[in-house]
Amino acid sequence: MNAQEKTMDVTLRVWRQKGPDQPGRFVSYAAKGVTPEMSFFEALDTINEGLVAKGEDAIAFDHDCREGICGTCCLTIEGQPHGPDQAATGCQLHMRAYKDGDAITIEPFRARAFPVIKDLVVDRSALDRVMASGGFVSVNTGSAGEANAILVPKDKAEAAMDAAACIGCGACVAACPNASAMLFVSAKVSQFALLPQGGPERDRRVLAMQRQMDLEGFGNCSNEGECEAVCPKEVKLANIARLNREYIRAMFWSHEVHPKVDLEGQEE
Amino acid sequence: MRWLCDFLNSSIGKKISVGLAGLFLCGFVVPHLLGNLLLFVGMAQFNAYAHFLQANPLTPAAELGLLALFLLHGTVALWARWQNWRARPVGYDTVASKGGRTIGSRTMTYTAFLVLAFLILHVAMFKYGWGSAFHDEELFQRVMDFFRNPWIAGGYALALIGLGLHLSHGFESAFQTLGVNHPKYTPFIKVLGVLFAVAVAGAFAAIPIWACFLGGAK
Repeated sequence: MNAQEKTMDVTLRVWRQKGPDQPGRFVSYAAKGVTPEMSFFEALDTINEGLVAKGEDAIAFDHDCREGICGTCCLTIEGQPHGPDQAATGCQLHMRAYKDGDAITIEPFRARAFPVIKDLVVDRSALDRVMASGGFVSVNTGSAGEANAILVPKDKAEAAMDAAACIGCGACVAACPNASAMLFVSAKVSQFALLPQGGPERDRRVLAMQRQMDLEGFGNCSNEGECEAVCPKEVKLANIARLNREYIRAMFWSHEVHPKVDLEGQEE
Repeated sequence: MRWLCDFLNSSIGKKISVGLAGLFLCGFVVPHLLGNLLLFVGMAQFNAYAHFLQANPLTPAAELGLLALFLLHGTVALWARWQNWRARPVGYDTVASKGGRTIGSRTMTYTAFLVLAFLILHVAMFKYGWGSAFHDEELFQRVMDFFRNPWIAGGYALALIGLGLHLSHGFESAFQTLGVNHPKYTPFIKVLGVLFAVAVAGAFAAIPIWACFLGGAK
């Protein structure tokens, strides 16, 4: 097969923004000679090489592992966080999804809690602060213990692993019509709530993480389900139902109250 | 009682309040519908039912409870909607769903205001006789007088389709909000939600359509 026949020319319409408080706008770039085997990010790399050669500012976009495991990439491609593929991150998208002459709009993840740093890069440290508020187990684990010292039913272990598959990319927030972080928080609460080690702190944890989520300015969940549809790790809405159960349990059946926390996650 | 304020102020507490109040309102709709279907049975039976409700000393208390549920459901949902609007100050240029949203969930805010406007008119017209030529007629007569007007009958049918859309998302969503999500019964709840929405909207809308266009109000 002649590789020359399979190249295509596409137009990338990219959000450019110099800094957090600067106005942004869309700029169109022609990507010529793109091959179907190229990853979407390689097409962006190609444009950036051209921009740098001309002495212009390269398009800033977050990426690290480029194999769908780190959760760093945060592009909204044609209105879909991570692009059109199911159960995949933006870095796993290939140009074979497009055809010659396509114009593709690329925007950053949009949410008040995810301020734009530059171009397509957003600050997702709000998710880290939610984790710091309660997404941990406060025990000194020491060296690895005997694996069967605490027995875990297989179905519970599987469900906890499915929740722990969350890579914290924030696509759920980006896709949610309300910019809610409920799927992320539910996955993080679930991975602990399902395991015996997470038991002692479960009430305190869910109240602290919920409070921090609200303080960060995320929206409210209205069960639209867009989060589940875009999640690259297929985290399920059932986790949000579990989060709600954990919250009801902590609120009405435990002695815990909401911790008073400031925006830095420090308890007052 | 700080914990109760925290609950109502939290994103999860807000959705639980809205969902629970919504389910209670669903519980109100069913007997209301069954009572209204007496219109098809006959004038005497319907008027007897209306007299029974009007004479019942518990009715004003039930009405106050219903009003409180509506206010809780509406104000908390509106408050959450306002926060959601503020949670994305810069919107997307292009939006493409990946399959989560339904027509019911997309239109919740619009159908909510449609139902609110409908309810205000509905109570004013049928309870207080606003726009009626008489003020002491039997309720059956009042219903038929209003529904002889095709604009009123059509508007009612339209508003009730809006209620159906609202329920098509709201019913199922309330269960998810209360933490009821399980492979054994969630598929059943989803089907039940759609059936409930179709049955409520269809049966309520059948009354003005029958009265106005099928000769019921002759």
